[in-house]
Amino acid sequence: MERRGRILVVLLLMGLGFTLVALRLVYLQVYQQAELAGRAERQQERLVKLEPKRGTIYDRRGTELAVSLEVDSVYAAPAGIDNPRLLARQLSRILRKDPRALEQRLTGNKQFVWISRKVDPGKAEKVKELGNKEIGIRLESRRFYPKKDLAGTALGFIGVDNKGLEGLERAYDKALRGVDGWVLAEKDARGRTVFPGGSSFQYKPPKPGHDLLLTIDEVIQHIAEKELDAALARTRANGGVCLVMNPQTGEVLALSVRSAALGKQAFNPNEPQRSKSAEWRNRAVTDVFEPGSIFKPFLAAAALEERVVHPLEQVDCSAGKIQLADRAIKDAHEHGILTFTDVIAESSNVGVIKVALRLGKERFARHITAFGFGKKTGVDIPGEIPGLLKDHRLWSGVSIGSIAIGQEIGVTPMQMAAAYGALANGGTLMKPYIVSEIVDHGGGEGKKFQPQAVGRVITEETCAKVSTMLQRVVETGTGQKARPAGYTAAGKTGTAQKIDQKTGTYSLTDYVSSFVGFAPANSPKLVILVMIDTPKGADYYGGSVAGPVFKAVAEQSLAYLQVAPDDVGGRMLLVTR
Amino acid sequence: MTSRAGYIGSIVFERSRRGGFRRVFLALVIVSSLLLYVGEKVKIVRLGYQTEVLEREKRELERANRSLLIEVSSLSSPARIEEIAIKRLGMVRPAKENIVIVKRKRDTANTK
Repeated sequence: MERRGRILVVLLLMGLGFTLVALRLVYLQVYQQAELAGRAERQQERLVKLEPKRGTIYDRRGTELAVSLEVDSVYAAPAGIDNPRLLARQLSRILRKDPRALEQRLTGNKQFVWISRKVDPGKAEKVKELGNKEIGIRLESRRFYPKKDLAGTALGFIGVDNKGLEGLERAYDKALRGVDGWVLAEKDARGRTVFPGGSSFQYKPPKPGHDLLLTIDEVIQHIAEKELDAALARTRANGGVCLVMNPQTGEVLALSVRSAALGKQAFNPNEPQRSKSAEWRNRAVTDVFEPGSIFKPFLAAAALEERVVHPLEQVDCSAGKIQLADRAIKDAHEHGILTFTDVIAESSNVGVIKVALRLGKERFARHITAFGFGKKTGVDIPGEIPGLLKDHRLWSGVSIGSIAIGQEIGVTPMQMAAAYGALANGGTLMKPYIVSEIVDHGGGEGKKFQPQAVGRVITEETCAKVSTMLQRVVETGTGQKARPAGYTAAGKTGTAQKIDQKTGTYSLTDYVSSFVGFAPANSPKLVILVMIDTPKGADYYGGSVAGPVFKAVAEQSLAYLQVAPDDVGGRMLLVTR
Repeated sequence: MTSRAGYIGSIVFERSRRGGFRRVFLALVIVSSLLLYVGEKVKIVRLGYQTEVLEREKRELERANRSLLIEVSSLSSPARIEEIAIKRLGMVRPAKENIVIVKRKRDTANTK
């Protein structure tokens, strides 16, 4: 009996054990199934994020201006690092980083920290050669601007997370960025990534970003930048803008903006961290300036359109001074009696103000508003401002005269170029634009941008008269240094006093020198705006400082575009086939 | 002559031999199916590794290709070309006097 009893006890204990195991199995397999399966999945499976390729930005001829490339980024898992100090020293030698800061990063219980992102391939190889299991390399997309500072302020730049932060990269970020993809990978016992086959293979391909085709021409952009830089170096100016536009379509062919301090290199989007925000700001749309005399053609256009003056009508400017309310406005040089055409050619403030008074503020305000002043042009560059133009009901007794000579009004270079475009093309204001096409590689249609007319602002007849007056400026007036060799041109010089920030009055030493015009005069292919901010030296006039830049850019760009010279003094060879 | 007992014995032996063959055959089928299944799985895993290696290689080549394209684009910048043309090749921009406009006479072929 004793023996049988023992056997029974053993059997009961065994049965109990098996029951407990079975119950535990039921508990794990049934009640905790979801949680444990999830944990196993997390340990064995890995959702690999697939970054889409950011779209490329091309110029109008298909040259790459911004391209993305996969580069290595170095990361670490500090939790498993035995000797952070030694590793920090090794890494600092390769990555040229502060060893103390690296040691701080490598110490702790974190599973993942970035050590250095988007490093050069050579450095990444050396990091791999260290053979430390807690240091890894991950591929990330890096943006390259192969032309360096060419059109840098227009292109903008992106951040480390591939998000557009400035310029076109920001304005078209959604189109350029694309959509993330993913793949479900499994990890084997040694931690290697394995892509499962068959039905368990789950994959969503990333959708690449769209490409952008710009209206910018790489060669004209280079010409504009080169000539602007030369002028800035010559005049030791604070900065400047050179904008080239097709007056028939509103396409921006070149947009060179220099805001850098004297002697500093132009903004290079490959190294945005080296520049301050003032240096990458696109001053062509974000800053206003008092245009000065380059605004006079709009008074002329309005006055001719309203028939309050004739181009050959004589205007008495002999006093060289005019009193408006409490302000006396003078001419730079006394001129005597001039025809209205010569009033513009010689840039007489007195003559222009006399005609403006005849026109009246309502009609003048209506016309300049029609030319787009006081409103955003709608160009596809971020940060555009509308400029400063008061409602004519708020104008003081001086305002009509001041605005006629380009004071008491703030314009952006883009507004000014677009308005001159209307004078060049026969009176239609075109909306400026810089992106001509969004190219979709995913089979979609993408988007094409066509020239867009804002509206007719003056008649063709008035335009022709103003164009003749502006040709006179270049031929015999203040803009003779802007006359391109071989081509006729029309334009206007401007030398605007800047506001002295200390006194709040017009400065006697700081000027904005500018020249805006178009060429060839009778069949305009290009509108070119040149604005030089605060040139130093005795000769600060727009005709002397900005005029030569216009001349150089016009000559080279028209030759590049194979526009036949129209002013070569009869040297023409007739060829018969 | 075979005795009755011997005859029955041989039948039983024959049956048990047939049953043994069947069992062996069944076991072989099961084992070979399992081996085939495992083999396939191993093959898939091996191909998975190979795919990953090839994918990596492809990515590297694509990267190298794009890197070269960037270099080409950088080297063909107008600033560099102009510098080489002027400084190294001694080229100059034609002066106004050197420009002769060639204007083709109106084609008379259509009017004939």
